[in-house]
Amino acid sequence: MSKMSLRRTMALGTGVLVSLAACGESSTAPGGESEVISRVTLTLTPSNGGAALTTYIDDSDGKGPTAPSAQVAVPALVRGVTYTGTVKFENRLKTPAEDITTEVQAEANEHRVFYTITSGSGVTITTTDVDGQNRPLGLRFSKAVAAGATAGAVRVVLCHYDSAPKVASATTCTGETDVDLPFAYAIAP
Amino acid sequence: MRTSYRSLLRAGWTRAVVVALVGLSAAARGVAAQDSHGALRHVHGVVESAATGRAVRDADVVVTWTARVADRAVQQSARQRTDGNGRFDLRDLPAQPVTLTVRALGFAPWSRDVDLRASDRLLTVHLEVATTVLQQVAVRADTAADRLARVAAVSTLDAQALAATRGQTLGETIKNLPGVAVIQFGPSIAKPVIRGLNSQRVLVTNGGLRQEDQQWGTEHAPNIDSFDADAVTVVRGAATVLYGADALGGVVRVEHAALPDTGGVHGNVALNAFSNSRQGALSIGVQGADLSLPKVGATGYRVRFTSRVAGNAAAPDYALTNTGFRELNGSVALGVNRSWGRSELSLSRFGTELGVLRQAHVGNADDLARAMRGAPPDSSFSYAIGRPNQRVAHTTLRARTVRTFVEAGELEVVYGLQYNHRREYDNHGPLRFRDEPAFNLKLFSNALDVRWTHPRWKGWRGTVGTSALAQGNQTLGKAFLIPGYDLWQGAAYAQEELALGRLSLSAGLRGDAIAQTTLAFADAGIRSPAGTKSWRNVAGSVGVAYLVRDGLDVAVRVARAWRPPTVNERYAQGVHHGTAQYELGEADLSTEQSMGLEGTVRYRTRALQVDGAAYANTVHDFIYLQPTPPVQTIRGAFPGYRYTQADARLRGVELAVSYAPTMRVQLTANGTVVRGTNRVNGEPLFDMPADRVTLNARVHGANAGNDDAPWYVGAGSLLVRRQDGVPNGTVYTLPTAGYALLQLEAGLRGQRMLGRRADVSLSVNNALNTRYRDYLSRYRLFANDTGRDVVARVTMPW
Repeated sequence: MSKMSLRRTMALGTGVLVSLAACGESSTAPGGESEVISRVTLTLTPSNGGAALTTYIDDSDGKGPTAPSAQVAVPALVRGVTYTGTVKFENRLKTPAEDITTEVQAEANEHRVFYTITSGSGVTITTTDVDGQNRPLGLRFSKAVAAGATAGAVRVVLCHYDSAPKVASATTCTGETDVDLPFAYAIAP
Repeated sequence: MRTSYRSLLRAGWTRAVVVALVGLSAAARGVAAQDSHGALRHVHGVVESAATGRAVRDADVVVTWTARVADRAVQQSARQRTDGNGRFDLRDLPAQPVTLTVRALGFAPWSRDVDLRASDRLLTVHLEVATTVLQQVAVRADTAADRLARVAAVSTLDAQALAATRGQTLGETIKNLPGVAVIQFGPSIAKPVIRGLNSQRVLVTNGGLRQEDQQWGTEHAPNIDSFDADAVTVVRGAATVLYGADALGGVVRVEHAALPDTGGVHGNVALNAFSNSRQGALSIGVQGADLSLPKVGATGYRVRFTSRVAGNAAAPDYALTNTGFRELNGSVALGVNRSWGRSELSLSRFGTELGVLRQAHVGNADDLARAMRGAPPDSSFSYAIGRPNQRVAHTTLRARTVRTFVEAGELEVVYGLQYNHRREYDNHGPLRFRDEPAFNLKLFSNALDVRWTHPRWKGWRGTVGTSALAQGNQTLGKAFLIPGYDLWQGAAYAQEELALGRLSLSAGLRGDAIAQTTLAFADAGIRSPAGTKSWRNVAGSVGVAYLVRDGLDVAVRVARAWRPPTVNERYAQGVHHGTAQYELGEADLSTEQSMGLEGTVRYRTRALQVDGAAYANTVHDFIYLQPTPPVQTIRGAFPGYRYTQADARLRGVELAVSYAPTMRVQLTANGTVVRGTNRVNGEPLFDMPADRVTLNARVHGANAGNDDAPWYVGAGSLLVRRQDGVPNGTVYTLPTAGYALLQLEAGLRGQRMLGRRADVSLSVNNALNTRYRDYLSRYRLFANDTGRDVVARVTMPW
């Protein structure tokens, strides 16, 4: 060892450096597998029969910096009709698209979807399903459109309870927000 | 009997350098034998504790002298550790005046000139139990760094101080040094801040190797086992010449003890307990020099194992949910000490899993506002770590060889391979249902450093070196934060010193070339482009130290430093743990350049020690996060931040005073003030520590020559002024109120426990259970800082 020349020592060191650099080579991330919610869809079925109305908002990068897209197919509600509604959360950045709603349903005790009318009048939304402890869940709801209703918007918030307790009487999210989107609606002429 | 500063000065700085040099290189005895013409002498004796008269084992005994080789003065040395009976026997020394220096854990260093011209010498060395000199000018340091220490502001926590103050993490351990603060995410994450700068502007070195552990993130604490440290030195101010571009704000240098080269197996056990988080920490070290390897021969070794388990920390009124952490660390080191020099190989692994405060992990801006308004929910104590959490493992392989040449100084080659694996688990959205990390970063770093410490040449002493780094980062998580990248870095530098009587001139120059290649990231949503960018630049410093009179010296230093933008500053896209802030990189950032002027004063008498420093740095194109309009996502709105640049100025003063009115009383005071200003808009910079003063008083037991163990009792206070120097515009900049904390401590040394001698200490942090929020605490928006913490520490050698 003591006879090893300085040059050899350094050459060896450099060799080790280069060879090990190779094993640390970075790779482009596979991509395309984001675990996000990228689409929220509301489906409204008129209780008096007729075709269901479907509207959705996409966020092409989930929680990325690009803002969510404009709402697609703003529903035109008919005055005097009550709709049964469902909400669907999906990750469409995956192929095939992944339905996150089932996971929310599976953890119903830790979730709630809030619907808050933020503009317009004459439209009321009532949650119609409950979790395992008989507290509102909100994956299903009814939307009643009064005779004098005007166009407006509903804010849809998917709330996740973890450290904070889920309180049945709450009207806003007191946990963590997983989705927060405004959905507009029109009134059919 | 304590080594006074005066005696160090009298013996000359050279000796201090040599002592330090030996601390690293342990120049072999064989060299001495080759060199000593004429009679050979030997020095032998025993090292005892002045307080108890007991032998001190494992003390480091170093003999240094100046040899004339080919008409040049060459510093040479020999070294040994005392055996189980405190004895040492150094042979084959030249017949001339030499200097004997003895150091041992828990004792003040001892140094004396010994004349070997006439005869061999037999000595009894009485070591004084170290008084609480927590902040002292670095005497032990690595070669070139020691030269820098003459003109820069440096503080060291030695092994004894570390044993008495070791905190829950490495960052907490150093947070009371002057000029230092920490960004904390509860007790589990503590990130050093030096002179107002942090993260990518503060370099941490571990055993001579730059620590590469995703240091850019404020929630990424240094991945170092604090029990591995034999000394921690903080260099304040730009030290980029020796350490590289990251050292713009300063350096935290973690040093390891030298491997033993004599003596059989022995070790120590350290046990720490923290009441606040109910943390237990155990560290067991075993070392010896009696290992015989085939073809290698006698080999020194050390094995260390450390484990920490902490549960939820508690503020005065409530527990902080999900703030526990667990650490499991191990290291193995082997080394040989031969006539040609010294060689060491070590492998260490640091592993931690830590929780992030639950309410700090918010879904969007509304959640944030609510979390800030509401009182933190109390929770029961638990050791469980839920989401959000981090799992980080850091593995380091280090090979270091120091070759000593009789006439050509010393050549040091350090190679390090580091692998950092960081996984951060979210509690948001679909990821909550998956056992998959949101962020999964693998960082591989290869570093090769070659340093040549040359012999005196026309009065100049110094170090020239080259440094190379090859780094690769992989981004594998389900969320994007930074892209994968490759980084290549090469540098050449020289740090030189010229002694001119009372004047000492120090100058350093370094050239760096850095190339950064980012890899494309093409998620269905997020896109980050590929690209290569390279930078070349020069850093330098010039300093002058002047010895006004014995015990008083002043120094002035001018330093130019620079650093390229880091990958996160260029390409970040994402939300950080515990802040809900959406950070966006700016690929076109240019380099940041700092020009600093700094003055230091050191005053030493037997009773009084004063260290003062003042500095003013102008940073051209300072990179910082500027608030932008909120970023809209499917989860709602997030406060937006974009990396941008503006000229900035940082100014500050630091003062450390230690006064011993009698031999049994020690009073210390530290003060730190720093002001950072954005010169474009005149606003204060974000993350500047609040002004602070620490006061401390200690009373020691008399050092009677009987079996009574020395003891100490102390009380101290940390006074922090309100931080109102905050930039406008975002929720994160809320001013924080001032606060005062009381700290108590007591300790016994050499206490008999389980048939062995042990050092025992007890301290109480935040003794009055004061409610407070520090400006640099990232949980301050949500919860108070931690309350009373009773810490018990036992260190038992065997």
